[in-house]
Amino acid sequence: MRRRVVITGTGAITPLGHDVKDTVEGQLAGRSGVGLIRQFNATKFPTTFAAEVKDFDLTKYVPEHGPWDHAGPNTRFAFAAALQALEQAGLKGDGKCDRTRFGVYLGSGEGVQDFHALLWVLSQNYDPSTRAINIPGFTRGTLEMFHAEREAEQELHTTAAHLARYFELDGPNLSCLTACAASSQAIGEATELIRHGDADIMLAGGAHSMIHPFGVTGFNLLTALSQRNDAPEKASRPFDANRDGFVLGEGAGMLILEELEHARHRGANILAELTGYGTTADAFRVTDSHEDGRGAIACITGAIKDSGLSPDQIDYINAHGTSTKVNDRAETLAAKAVFRERAYKLPISSSKSMLGHLIAAGGAVELITCIESIHRGWIPPTINYETPDPECDLDYVPNQARQHRVNHALSNSFGFGGQNISLIVSRFE
Amino acid sequence: MPASSRRVVLTGLSTLSPLGMDPDTLYRRLMAGDSGVRAIKAFDTANMPAKIAGEIDNFEAKTYITDKGHRRALKMMSRPIQLAVSAAQCVMNSVDRTKIDPTRLGVEFGAGLMASELPELADAAMASANCQPGAVSLELWGQKGIPAIQPLWMLKYLPNLPAGHISIMHDAQGPNNSITESDAASLIALGEAFRIIGRDGADMFITGGCESKVHPVSLVRQCLFEQLSKRNDNPQDACRPYDRDRDGTVVGEGAAVLLIEELEHAKRRGAIPLAEMVGFGAAFERTHSGEGLARAIKAALKDADAIPADIDFVIGHAMGLTAYDAFEARGIAEVFGPQGVPVYAAKGALGNTGAASGAMELAIGVLALQNGAVPPSRNHVATAEDCPVNVVHNQAKKVAKPYFLKLAYTQLGQCAAAVIKKWE
Repeated sequence: MRRRVVITGTGAITPLGHDVKDTVEGQLAGRSGVGLIRQFNATKFPTTFAAEVKDFDLTKYVPEHGPWDHAGPNTRFAFAAALQALEQAGLKGDGKCDRTRFGVYLGSGEGVQDFHALLWVLSQNYDPSTRAINIPGFTRGTLEMFHAEREAEQELHTTAAHLARYFELDGPNLSCLTACAASSQAIGEATELIRHGDADIMLAGGAHSMIHPFGVTGFNLLTALSQRNDAPEKASRPFDANRDGFVLGEGAGMLILEELEHARHRGANILAELTGYGTTADAFRVTDSHEDGRGAIACITGAIKDSGLSPDQIDYINAHGTSTKVNDRAETLAAKAVFRERAYKLPISSSKSMLGHLIAAGGAVELITCIESIHRGWIPPTINYETPDPECDLDYVPNQARQHRVNHALSNSFGFGGQNISLIVSRFE
Repeated sequence: MPASSRRVVLTGLSTLSPLGMDPDTLYRRLMAGDSGVRAIKAFDTANMPAKIAGEIDNFEAKTYITDKGHRRALKMMSRPIQLAVSAAQCVMNSVDRTKIDPTRLGVEFGAGLMASELPELADAAMASANCQPGAVSLELWGQKGIPAIQPLWMLKYLPNLPAGHISIMHDAQGPNNSITESDAASLIALGEAFRIIGRDGADMFITGGCESKVHPVSLVRQCLFEQLSKRNDNPQDACRPYDRDRDGTVVGEGAAVLLIEELEHAKRRGAIPLAEMVGFGAAFERTHSGEGLARAIKAALKDADAIPADIDFVIGHAMGLTAYDAFEARGIAEVFGPQGVPVYAAKGALGNTGAASGAMELAIGVLALQNGAVPPSRNHVATAEDCPVNVVHNQAKKVAKPYFLKLAYTQLGQCAAAVIKKWE
């Protein structure tokens, strides 16, 4: 029989709070974490707002913050969320388990580039009349201005390595970058590592911020972001007819995944079981999902099959629900294709209506939201749902949290580039 | 753990490297002792502390991508992505698509950060410069800078898009992942694909890696945090893995693709296996004693149901770095004993092809198994005292046993190992 994987710890740093409790209660209250960007002057950007993590202070979590001084937001958020998850699981450096059987798998994101140095040096070495760039001048300038440690910290494998080093996690250590699906994929593949016997425990999740000048620029150029600058809190409106793009968020979500017998043996408190993982690709276009939801359907179906459940047993879907025209329509189609007439009675909500889109960290925080829905018997709403869209005609739990018993919850994440991930968490009894 | 009953074989290889654009040329030139490292031609390196690289000449993605629609997509791809899709095309040209179920074909790639091409940002930078040294105006950037950049700019550089574009070009609707473990990325990607086929999550994978650090921004960043060889006046001899006189690595570029599939799937479509993948292991190394690397090797051997004495040769990560070569050698020695197994180092000839290096160097191992000879490790003259390894050098080594092991690590501690068996 296959090894079963349970969740014994969770941690979160999000625009709605600095732990799981505040993140979930904020969602149940229908609070928006979106506001004008404070980290840099975005007043003249096409989009001036985002869902930022507020007043985050790493020194609350780690006294000797020196080693983390040059780390970017990804690593700093990851550290705090991982610490919470490890403490809840009772696994913080207590020697209670074989550390060589304890690995890390993170959805990683690009670090924050030195925007000002790069562009200022470039401007000083560019002749617009000839369009010539003086490369020796540019390289001399950037060699002087770039900060060596901060440059090294931008690399994509740094966060997972720092966590392993600090928390003494000597097992397999991986990172994946599949855009908006990354932390869900990391959780899915970490589950598979445990099932296969490559590890007994995995710290899995993601941490990411793209709320920086290049990040907002890139998504603005693709016209993927909402530009509802006069009402930021109303901007993220998944499945609403007047949705106009997603809202960038930032933060981290971390889970402790553990082999069931291992968790039982050490008397761990089991929060839920990870029962299903589905993974597919659209193989269609880089920028859009397939119109008929092909990849999403196969992915959700795969996760249900993996869990051994029937579609009828799924009680709640935490949608990818980005608030873009294409995603929300395709995701609705996919839910109808998989759940048929029952799709109309199955509550589906989007955490992104309140948290924004945490990109590589999104899936992990949304899966934690699903676990909490099982515990609390309440599911979070989709806020800003005002005008129904004829193409999105399911029950999106509009505007108010709902009391609802959840035994099995499905979380979807669909990446820019076509990667689809679905995860199922189940009540553990 | 019970071994999976599903066996995984390698049925296709492609390598775009500083030593040629196909595997046979690469292998032949490695056997001849050639070097792909030279003074950088792609841009003016005056003012750079490092002026050399393993650089690919005259690469034109259109040579490989002939479909009109796919050719149009090339303008959305940076050089590393173009290298990746070209390498994938080389492998897929010989696959009869009518015998493949697209939902059972996956893509797993290793990729790293890709730097923006400077001309794409130059007008925006100029429009945003004000009188303040060291910074641009964010207000000007928002008003005049952003509109001066082409709309699809960000897509050219996303690390998940080598795998994304390959899935689109080859209708690969199965699992799709991009591993970002720096220089270990493509070996770990291969390991994950191997596991997914083993657990029946797919039948076939296009797996590999791509990298190009021959770029002004990438090279500047490498100069700031990587130990690069100072032998600019002698490029071909600069990168010297495990050698007494090693003084740093050399950047490189390239892409490698390995097509792997479940054995019965290969038989059904009439594909001839080149080798079998039999084991994979990964671990984290916290102390750099070599202990973590040794654990990854042992896990891979156990997974392969093999013992150290079964291994004919190891292809090291072999960066040419002062501290890390010694660490790696200690890890190898912990499993095989001091000088206990012949070790081949490819980076002396190729430079560090980064996220592509694991797949590229594993491909060299497959060619060595097939041809019965491991190439000499270029630039290894005298083994350093702190590197307790037996390096294949001066001349090629005959292959006598059916297995080899490929290693990769990151300097922060991620370690991986794969065991490959000769197909007989």
